[in-house]
Amino acid sequence: MISVADNLIRELLDSEEFYNRWIEHPTSSIIHHDQECCQHARLWFLSYARSMEGWSCSQFDLKAPVWLSQLFNWGPSIWPISWCQLVKEKTLDCGVFAALAQEILKAQGHQVHSGQCLLVYNDTCTNHWKDLWRTKMPRKEGRRSGDVFHWIGDQVVYHEVCIIELPDGSAKVYDSTFGGWYEPLERIGFGALLAIRSECPRLLRWGDKFLSCGEWVDL
Amino acid sequence: MKMSKKKIYISGMHSGQNPSAGVGIARCLRKAFPDLTLVGVDHWQGSSGLHDSSVDEAFLLPQWKQIDRKRHISQIHAILDEGNLWISALDVEVYWLAQNFGTHPNLICPSGSALKRTSKPHVEAFTHLGFEVPENISAYLSDNEVHSFLRQNAWQCWIKGPYHDAKRVTSWEVFQQARDKMQKDWKTTQLFVQKNMIGNEESICFAAHQGELISAVHMEKRLITPEGKTWAGRVTPVTSELFQGLKTTIRKLEWCGGGEIEYTRDPDGKKWVIECNPRFPAWIYGSALIGNNLPGRIVSKAWDLPLLESQSHYPFFTRVVQEIAAKETVGIPLPPDPSLTPWPVDGQKGKSGPSQSSFIPPLRDTMDFRGFDSEDEEFEPTPIRIPESVPQLYSDEVNSVTSDFSGETPSRIHLENWTMSRFQSLIDSVQQSKKRSPEIRIGYSVKTCPTDMHLAKARKSGFYTECISQMEVHRALRAGTPSNEIILNGPGKFWPLTTPPVMGLHMLFCDSFEEFDRVLEIPSISGCIGMRIRLPKLPSRFGIPVDEYENFERIIAGIKKLKGQAILGFHFHMPSWIIGVKRWKEAFQSILTWCEVVENLTHVPVQRLDFGGGFFPSDLEGLNFEWIQRSVHSALPKVEAIYFEPGRSLTQEGEILVSRVLSVRKSPKAKEVSEVVVDACVAELPLIQSYAHRIFYKPSEFSDSADACQIVEKGKTKVLGRICMESDILNTGIKLPDNIKIGDLIIFGDAGAYERSMSYDFGRG
Repeated sequence: MISVADNLIRELLDSEEFYNRWIEHPTSSIIHHDQECCQHARLWFLSYARSMEGWSCSQFDLKAPVWLSQLFNWGPSIWPISWCQLVKEKTLDCGVFAALAQEILKAQGHQVHSGQCLLVYNDTCTNHWKDLWRTKMPRKEGRRSGDVFHWIGDQVVYHEVCIIELPDGSAKVYDSTFGGWYEPLERIGFGALLAIRSECPRLLRWGDKFLSCGEWVDL
Repeated sequence: MKMSKKKIYISGMHSGQNPSAGVGIARCLRKAFPDLTLVGVDHWQGSSGLHDSSVDEAFLLPQWKQIDRKRHISQIHAILDEGNLWISALDVEVYWLAQNFGTHPNLICPSGSALKRTSKPHVEAFTHLGFEVPENISAYLSDNEVHSFLRQNAWQCWIKGPYHDAKRVTSWEVFQQARDKMQKDWKTTQLFVQKNMIGNEESICFAAHQGELISAVHMEKRLITPEGKTWAGRVTPVTSELFQGLKTTIRKLEWCGGGEIEYTRDPDGKKWVIECNPRFPAWIYGSALIGNNLPGRIVSKAWDLPLLESQSHYPFFTRVVQEIAAKETVGIPLPPDPSLTPWPVDGQKGKSGPSQSSFIPPLRDTMDFRGFDSEDEEFEPTPIRIPESVPQLYSDEVNSVTSDFSGETPSRIHLENWTMSRFQSLIDSVQQSKKRSPEIRIGYSVKTCPTDMHLAKARKSGFYTECISQMEVHRALRAGTPSNEIILNGPGKFWPLTTPPVMGLHMLFCDSFEEFDRVLEIPSISGCIGMRIRLPKLPSRFGIPVDEYENFERIIAGIKKLKGQAILGFHFHMPSWIIGVKRWKEAFQSILTWCEVVENLTHVPVQRLDFGGGFFPSDLEGLNFEWIQRSVHSALPKVEAIYFEPGRSLTQEGEILVSRVLSVRKSPKAKEVSEVVVDACVAELPLIQSYAHRIFYKPSEFSDSADACQIVEKGKTKVLGRICMESDILNTGIKLPDNIKIGDLIIFGDAGAYERSMSYDFGRG
């Protein structure tokens, strides 16, 4: 039976212009130039991560890189981005945050995968974010405004996260941009998670949901 | 429709930024039973919960200090005997009732035996439910042991009372102040120090009546105030497994009333118990809103009243700050005289800032709590002291060097045997480590204790010499150290500039890129050249910070310039006694990562690693050289030697400072000595407030008794220094004999190392 909430979610998503682009969008990764420039930058970043994770939570198995949001601000960043470029940046978008967090968690020995989410916000917020992206997006030669990925809808936004695969077959979903953990709770309202997609090649249990590779799962 | 004429008394109506649970309980009961008569009880007119619309009547009692114990007991008896219920929402009142009142069928409070079994730190009654107890020790062990515990746990600990109150400990000074204050406030000697556990705060809140568990919920804190109080949370039912386990425990404890087990869930999922509160928490109405009205369920059970509840789809609650009309019948306290306005000392805003909250008296000031452990009206706790852990060799030598002491004071006396034992212990450890590689080498830190005797001992022990200036280098050369056994560090290594730098050193570590470039221009200055690294987020002014990518690139570029001029080394120094042993070990591993990366990118092998000094004597002895060697070898196989630069650990304990009593001051009752003034001062003991010093007492040479010197325990006598400076307090409380006289000796142990080298002349004319 389809609930009122299901209908609301469907209506929200159907009204979004970029919905089809979001659900087909590949997850972000960081370019490596296969040269000294990116080799240095990547190793510096991983050494820095090793230092940072030691201070607060070294005794724990899973050391979430909460410090990432202290090192970088969230906002528009050039895309695609390379290792040698990102170490010079002060501001990164959620895709870069997620890609960096994956690198760190992999270095810790965890099975970690890309994840994508659709979240609900109000149009006041989304309009501000649209302005922010329009005015602060770093200029790159030859780029036109249409080249920027439209992650912001009217009331729904696209977001990238990390999915950690635990040994017991369950998942944890980490919001690498703001340093928090998503919960598999059904909710409608500001900041609610509507749908999630995992790139883990194995089926993962997340609360009472199952995350199947490449499939969008509604909450 | 009036359900009953009986009333429910609810104590604890304070509703400030650290609220009691009374208002929450009253709102729960009002929601469940709109017609019940609820009486808010408090000892202070300013408790704003008394004005809440959920409360029908206010029952204001005098401050605890003004209460006649027997009258109060009989009054509560009369209330309960009339069939009314009394629900206490104050920890300390719960203990007072258990101690003074006992049980009553209408008193919704746990008994004394239940409280004992759920007291901190072990909260033993609930440990079988999967809770673990964070590492802890008594706050009354020897100062050395407590200092060591704090160092091991990186100065991230709490000092807690058995029933109430907890303060963060971030330094030795903070610990000492907190221990004295909490002991005075709570009149208990059961304070303990506990390791801080990282994790999310959660709790299990339960309701029980006459030993029967009625309901329990699980709450995860989502928003927390700066005082650590819940501002928003998620409430869900407990698992059936936990409910069954809790049910058995509650029955055994014969628990009555609310309770809350507070714990931290660490990132690995372990649950570390913080404490068990013997009453409902202040957020309890949040649970009722979600569909689990615990106070309502107790009253429903006690009075056999029906209770209907519906579950909320979204199991979260949050708080708001709300203005309500004050009740004329309760009234608002008179304004304080402006001169009482506290000056905010914590950097907060002025009158309207949080520090103004001192007008709302903390609980300890409104209750004359004698401590649950004492039935004596005049109970005045005497600190329980386990004697200081003084090794026999140490105390024998202190006795020996002071037995016929008659010299001028203050006087610093060297303990030769003890110092030798420190050097020998390190020599043995190094010898033992030679079975493995890389080799462990020691560089004696000149600055810590630059006497001829110590330098000679270091030479004889086969140690290298660590210097921080050309002046120290020349000092080492004069003491017989060849230049190729000297390690040069620090930001001022070429001071004084008027002296040409000594060449052919063993190692030299640069503090900046500029210095590195300058050193490379001096051929043959050192066989090993390297950089001192400053790790991210470690507060230090020294070394090259690697938290900026540009610096990292400069390190790589700089090292490539070495081109065989010298072998490459890296230096890291952050005193483990300041950052804590645990953090030091983390820093050690982090340094290996950085060095590994630099080696990879430059193709210049890292051959030497210097980890500096700053170890407390017992920490250096506890350092696992085997683990260090194994870790280094695994990460950096080309490292040939690992260096440590001890100074403090070898020399701090090897000197005592003998002082004489100049003045003895007694309390008005003349029962005990309140203060003594000695002829030592902070000029001779500049670090007296930074770490624990063992203190000895010995009657003067002119005394009738020829007692040996005795280690002194914690007590009430302050030891004041001789100079006219407010900060010249050498100890805030030791136990000295009542017959102490002018001229008797107070001997400060652990007075070597920086206590010597940083001491200064002051007030000597």
